[in-house]
Amino acid sequence: MSSDAQQDFAYAFLSILFEGAPFILLGTIISGFVDIYLPAGTMDRFLPKNRTFAVLAAGLMGAVFPVCECAVVPVIRRLVSKGLPVSYAITYMLAAPIVNPITALSTWKAFQGQAPWMMTGGRVLLGYLVAVAVGLLIARFSLRSILRKSLVEKIEKEAATPKAEEACSSCCGHHHDHDHHHDHAAHDHAETHTKHDNRLVAAMRSAQKDFVDVGVYFTIGVAITALFNTGIAPGAIWLDGLAGNIFIAPAALMALAFILSLCSTSDAFIAATLAKFTWGAKLAFLTFGPMFDVKLLFLYQSVLRKKFILCLGVSIFVVIWLVSIAAQHWLIPS
Amino acid sequence: MKPELRRIFFSLCVLLWAGALLYFYGSGRMNHYLVPDFRPIALFGGLGLAVLGTFNLLTARQTGSCGHDHGDGDEHDHEGGDMNPIASLALMVVPLALSMLWTIDEFSQSTLARKGLYESAPDSRENAIFSSILPPLTLEEIEKGHRRTADGYLEFDLMELFFAAGDRELQGLLNGLEIETEGRIVEEKANNPNGTRMRLYRIFMTCCAADSRAIPIILEFGKEPPLLPVNGWVKAAGKMTFAEENGAFQPVLVIDRATAAEAPAEDKFLRN
Repeated sequence: MSSDAQQDFAYAFLSILFEGAPFILLGTIISGFVDIYLPAGTMDRFLPKNRTFAVLAAGLMGAVFPVCECAVVPVIRRLVSKGLPVSYAITYMLAAPIVNPITALSTWKAFQGQAPWMMTGGRVLLGYLVAVAVGLLIARFSLRSILRKSLVEKIEKEAATPKAEEACSSCCGHHHDHDHHHDHAAHDHAETHTKHDNRLVAAMRSAQKDFVDVGVYFTIGVAITALFNTGIAPGAIWLDGLAGNIFIAPAALMALAFILSLCSTSDAFIAATLAKFTWGAKLAFLTFGPMFDVKLLFLYQSVLRKKFILCLGVSIFVVIWLVSIAAQHWLIPS
Repeated sequence: MKPELRRIFFSLCVLLWAGALLYFYGSGRMNHYLVPDFRPIALFGGLGLAVLGTFNLLTARQTGSCGHDHGDGDEHDHEGGDMNPIASLALMVVPLALSMLWTIDEFSQSTLARKGLYESAPDSRENAIFSSILPPLTLEEIEKGHRRTADGYLEFDLMELFFAAGDRELQGLLNGLEIETEGRIVEEKANNPNGTRMRLYRIFMTCCAADSRAIPIILEFGKEPPLLPVNGWVKAAGKMTFAEENGAFQPVLVIDRATAAEAPAEDKFLRN
């Protein structure tokens, strides 16, 4: 690596890392406290019993818990290990970075003078529909074909925990919640409450562990992004040459979104400057990027199987590509 | 690896990241990496990481209770990571440490060239539909919106001059106007057969340095340019023109004077 290349890599790497690290921290703090304080199955109780309605509701959860794509991965990783059905979790994971008020506001602000309501509405709607479609589809797959082996094993262990509680309930004659520690030897509830004071320690440890797990993948993703970022920049000649093509432009911008790995709360500011590109291509850029990019490719590996990630990426790419072409054709008359 | 040792390794990872964020924020170098609204987020991120890492380091030997029962033989590990802690530490810290060592808080000229230093302004044809419903811009309004220097030049941001090349209406109004602008000066590589041209640029950042791009205009001296420090800050004044070159309009400032200047407080254009 020449000294210029080192300098460029370092500058791009640090800037993306500084931008993303606080959001990962936010996500992992939430996930750490979810791990310790949220009894298994709580999220299930929030969502409708009907599977289809539950997936539809999961796609809207980002409006209540607004997180970007870096923060959402550790959160859903924890929720899945807590027993949230994987189809709901992945719907939330794909939709939350787009269907949330912060992203909507930044998109609206960035597209001032370029039909901001249309772009914001189109982005939120397409993001929601794609996420829900993926959620409904993967509800038909087995856990083992979707999740990492270690996570499946953890879920199976979590699933076994209520059985222990049932046994416990029978021994003392009354029911204990999952989050209620029970001392079998002394049946001492006072001691139990003392031990509850250490749950903060456990939550912080869990958050730290999640931060390191996600941080490793994030670092690798950022490093690769930085290498690409300093090699092929926005506005490269070949990309401009594709800008006016209704079929190729959305695919080109989705490829760019994949490589640049921008945060969903800020990517609209980049898209808005791509003046030569069609509205549909920008919509594709803004919808595909928060769902699938280089950085997420690595983050997803902390939750999902590689084969599933590949299928997910290709499916989302094709669907968004087709919808953006149709939207450009039907909604924006030339 | 013993749980205590693993906690210490993880805490070190977190604290080193915290240290990097807080150092760059505290030293003011963060300004070169992030736009203003992301800077306090980075500060809070650094502080949050410092709290997380310190808390876990101080309580590494303490017994934590997750508050719920585990089945027989269920390790139910809330702390076990996906990766060996030493490998995690190396992967998280080595690229960060190398980057901190290598960075000089800006891109090299070659990367700036890839980030638009020698590109033309985009054609604003997409905005035509919206500008057609707005009242036409007038020279009086332009003059009202810009200060004049002591010697009568209108002060313009370089970005306005760059994007005017893609906006026919603005171009028509600015053409021939005497203006002053500031930026960093570099050699002009194309369309410079007589060696009379230089290029003035500033960086436009939307969120972080990785998404930044160069915003350039051409300086036409009409003779051999004066000796100015390469990549140094310059205030340039002259007559604004737009030349059609290589199939696009280029903003060209025909220079009356160009002098070295101090860098402005915020050296980059940042999104509002």
